[in-house]
Amino acid sequence: MAEKQKRVAFGALGIFIFLCIWYAATTLTSLGKVMPDPITVLAGFFTAFVEPIGTHSMIMHILVSLRRMLIPYFFGGVLGVLVGILMGWYKLADAILMPYIQMIRPIPPIAWIPLSIVWFGFDEGSKYFLIFLACFFTIALTTYNGVHSVDETLVRAARMLGAKDNQLFTSIVLPTTVPYIFSGLQVALGSAWATIVAAEMIRSSEGVGWLIISGQEVGNMTQIMVGIMAIALTGLLITSIMRGVESKLCAWTVRGK
Amino acid sequence: MANKEPKVRVQNLTKKFGDLLVLDNLNFEVEEGEFLCIVGPTGCGKTTFLNSLTRLYQPTAGEILVNGIPVDPKKQNISYIFQEYSSFPWLTVEQNIRFGLEIKKIPKEEADANVEEMLDIVGLTKFRNYYPSQLSISMLQRVAIARAFATKPELLLMDEPYGQLDIDLRFKLEDELIKLWKKTGTTVLFITHNIEEAVYLSQKIMVLTNKPTSVKTVLDNPLPLPRDVVSEEFVALRNKVTDLIKWW
Repeated sequence: MAEKQKRVAFGALGIFIFLCIWYAATTLTSLGKVMPDPITVLAGFFTAFVEPIGTHSMIMHILVSLRRMLIPYFFGGVLGVLVGILMGWYKLADAILMPYIQMIRPIPPIAWIPLSIVWFGFDEGSKYFLIFLACFFTIALTTYNGVHSVDETLVRAARMLGAKDNQLFTSIVLPTTVPYIFSGLQVALGSAWATIVAAEMIRSSEGVGWLIISGQEVGNMTQIMVGIMAIALTGLLITSIMRGVESKLCAWTVRGK
Repeated sequence: MANKEPKVRVQNLTKKFGDLLVLDNLNFEVEEGEFLCIVGPTGCGKTTFLNSLTRLYQPTAGEILVNGIPVDPKKQNISYIFQEYSSFPWLTVEQNIRFGLEIKKIPKEEADANVEEMLDIVGLTKFRNYYPSQLSISMLQRVAIARAFATKPELLLMDEPYGQLDIDLRFKLEDELIKLWKKTGTTVLFITHNIEEAVYLSQKIMVLTNKPTSVKTVLDNPLPLPRDVVSEEFVALRNKVTDLIKWW
């Protein structure tokens, strides 16, 4: 526990030092002409909770963006795990699907914006599509690796204790794969959240990504920085929650601890 | 007839990997409740032999009968303890021991009682909620042994389970194994390259030849339990087995 407190303390100290450097750089040099200092940004961030930017307050911007991210993330997760297990378990599925995954995965989400607008319109659908792409492949591939990492000795041991194929799957393959699924979900959560700006480039009038885009349109550097801060802090919060869930569910792994 | 049928009957067991003949026409029987140690020169196919016995490998020819019917781990109650550590890392000590009982759908009260008994015998009651990553090597092997015995197997196969332990722990675990064997009356086939271990544990010792493997001879081991490794009879039997393995 003391170890954990130390970690948090050092983390906080690091952020504080960074803010100090930022403050010094913007007040003591000409950098201040193009970039607001951290106090202005922080003040802007917290004021936005009571004074709306655009038509919404900060909490609404964050919640709208979170919903935009979580819905496709959920579907990407479920589908990714299913496809990953399918490819890991059946050689035929692996042979058919793997080339698609390897081809589509490196295409950055922004490249899909024009097509997604044509396919899904300007509403939520196209935004969901981009974020789905940002997380599906990561989760499918890590799950696939998990299925492949099953220890033959454990399979033999379970077989000798009388396990049939379906029991092998639930008692050996799934537990082996769970930590991999979690690391995939963790990485995918980060990339899904990072894609929110790209997704909100498609016509939107709220959300943390919109803060940045509309800030750019009117040349409001503070609003851009406030948007960045909102993404950063919310990102930190959701990945911490995810890590907590993981350590509860995968208590046996070193990663989970 | 039923009384006469041996626990395990191996008939003309042959295994080839491609052109390589590994097991050459093995024939032997194991009586109910017997503790048989199988020794042989290094690389003589001892593990191939056990793996064929469990149908992890399909034998090329021949038959293995347990209680007069062809061996099948899904139908018969057989347990196997490996050379490698095979406890499930995502299960606690207690859950590991319970694994086979759950696979076989043993009623809960009976399973609970078995698990408690096993935890007690191998001395892991205090560590029941530990995960394998928190245990020492000898404790891991104890978990494997308790897991194997918990299902009350009719036949227990052990493939050099103590090969990687130091001598102190080995003797301790060997004594535990004898205790468990006496208590449960399980038939045990124990593979080892350690002749002292074979003489210490067994009632019978089967000596295998070099590849292609066949049965060289089966010796009785009448020494009373517990055995004294420095007694004259012990050393004499040990030397006898050593000579049999040397003179291929």
